[in-house]
Amino acid sequence: MNYLQELEAEAIYVFREIAAQFTKPVLLFSGGKDSTVLIHLAAKAFHPMPIPFPVMHVDTGHNFEEALRFRDQLVLQKGLQLIIRKVEDSILEHGIEEPVEKLPSRNVLQSITLMDAIREFGFDACIGGGRRDEEKARAKERFFSVRDREGKWQPYNQKPELWNIYNGRINEGENMRVFPISNWTEMDVWQYIRQENIDLPSLYFAHERSCIVYNGRLIAVSGYIKIDDEDIRLTENVRYRTVGDMTCTAAIKSDARTIDEVIREIEASNISERGETRIDDQLSDAAMEDRKLQGYF
Amino acid sequence: MELLRFTTAGSIDDGKSTLTGRLLYDTGNIKEDVLESVSKVGNIINLAHITDGLRSERAGGITIDIGYRYFKTNNRKYIISDAPGHFQYTKNMVTGASNVDVMIILIDAKNGITSQTRLHSLVASFLRTRYVVVAVNKMDALAYGEDAFESIRNEYRSIAERLQLRDVIFIPISALHGDNVSAHSENMPWYHGPDLLSFLEQCDTHKTTNGPGRVSIQYCAEDESTKTSLYFGKVLSGEIHVNEPLKIFPPENEVLVKKIISGYEEVETAKAGENICLELNTNDGMKRGSILAPLTHRPQCTKLLTAAICWLDPEINCEQNKEFILRIHTQESICHIRDIEYRINPFSFDKEKVPGLKVNEVASAIIETEVPVVYDSYDVCPENARGIIIDPATHNTVAAIMIY
Repeated sequence: MNYLQELEAEAIYVFREIAAQFTKPVLLFSGGKDSTVLIHLAAKAFHPMPIPFPVMHVDTGHNFEEALRFRDQLVLQKGLQLIIRKVEDSILEHGIEEPVEKLPSRNVLQSITLMDAIREFGFDACIGGGRRDEEKARAKERFFSVRDREGKWQPYNQKPELWNIYNGRINEGENMRVFPISNWTEMDVWQYIRQENIDLPSLYFAHERSCIVYNGRLIAVSGYIKIDDEDIRLTENVRYRTVGDMTCTAAIKSDARTIDEVIREIEASNISERGETRIDDQLSDAAMEDRKLQGYF
Repeated sequence: MELLRFTTAGSIDDGKSTLTGRLLYDTGNIKEDVLESVSKVGNIINLAHITDGLRSERAGGITIDIGYRYFKTNNRKYIISDAPGHFQYTKNMVTGASNVDVMIILIDAKNGITSQTRLHSLVASFLRTRYVVVAVNKMDALAYGEDAFESIRNEYRSIAERLQLRDVIFIPISALHGDNVSAHSENMPWYHGPDLLSFLEQCDTHKTTNGPGRVSIQYCAEDESTKTSLYFGKVLSGEIHVNEPLKIFPPENEVLVKKIISGYEEVETAKAGENICLELNTNDGMKRGSILAPLTHRPQCTKLLTAAICWLDPEINCEQNKEFILRIHTQESICHIRDIEYRINPFSFDKEKVPGLKVNEVASAIIETEVPVVYDSYDVCPENARGIIIDPATHNTVAAIMIY
């Protein structure tokens, strides 16, 4: 087997373990490339049967239109059962005061919506597209990662996880987060997208976009951010290396319009994926670890 | 391109995380923004900081749990599990080492072989790790002299022999300065072997998969539209073919393979490592945990087995009357650990009679299961010769077992 076959086999095995070991799993779908690859892998894992669990979009309301359109197309094409839960509703229900900032992020609030949905549907496993190479706290997480009743990760008390024997047993009220593509790098994801001819939102390829420059990063002009007179507005050829909220994901200047061009561009890049595009990770040295301790994906 | 998985083991402060950082750095696999975010002492970057992903690890300068890192060369893709060195975190180190082709055991040239070197070697022996690289580190602190390296090599050879480690390679290095890490060091002209990266680039990763046909069943589904039962599973070793008569273990019913689906394709033959979906001529006795095997090469199928055991839980002890769950690939049974035949002393490696087992101890145990379990010996089918023990009260994985 070459490395891509080995990574694919590992992920498919994990998907089948999830279906066998849990009664109510759900696949968390954001419209980004990693969760799109997850849907493709799940379809392959259970062929000729349909994917035996629903997908859920935790909708911050700060979406790229392209990502939503792509989501709805994919749901139709693959015959998926889609659940949408909105951060907006959690804000109203819990009386949360939203931060008033230049780039108001609902990133942290997603954890509340996710935990509400877990309780509402009784999900015992949430499947995510997290990869260990993305970020240093993620590099520490198991394939099967137990979250306590509040959704908290316990990084200092993780279960042993040997070979491909995944222990999916949890206590009442706990839930499992499962990451089938834990061992994939950004490049592996792209190589796989090329090999399997997987469709992605158009955001991942170069297009013209109106942006403001914020701390040296390009942020798309949208109704979700506060634009002042001092802001420098540019129209640039850009693409997105990761797709999150419009308020916390930066675009990069790019002319890469095809998968091959994107792969060449990433290969030549001196900057990591999240470093280049994620404002939410820049808050502190342990931003991701802290969010995971709060129930984040 | 092939994938090679390796782990770094050894005592605290022997330089495991520094070596990982060094390999990533030398192969151009650290991006600028990541490099900028790590601390520096003078001009020397803190290479360990790159892999210590948790706040307490960076603050304390120690590795608590495994961190996974990825890099590539023109030749191979690599997955590193950077393991903790403290005794109390050995259970995490076992997790990181379970999937690797190569275990790099670092030894500080100034301190020589320590109790953790021995314990990690015992883990390599328990897991039957394919290659052990003994990297004698901090050679710069001893003016790159040959003597310390030689004496460590001699001492370790007797450990390797005692533990029956398969392929052991010795390399003198300085992870801090990069000697013999990714290029041959001019500071040690007396060393004629490969540098570490050259070894990793060239060692044989070919996995032995030509054993007898074994399929483990993971997940069963009913296709309502065609009224057929589908069995999703993995070929653990060998091959299986359409129209081949096989036996289901347990209970040893005979079945015929009607259809094999691999990915989106219907195929005639499936090989070791493939995830497949099967349609059979009968469904009697088929369930998650079943093993399909050819009529001639039958696996073991018993309620009593002898296995090497590595205890991983600091709170639950191995007691004879306590009920556990044994899991081998996807099959499970309630079990009791009836006897500890002997414990392997982690320092002398002598076999000792002990009343029970504690965390990080390796022993030989007799396990009795409630229902028959199907297994092979490690040389026949590795994936059907290893398992975990779960405490049904806490759901924790409390031990790992290997059947040789």
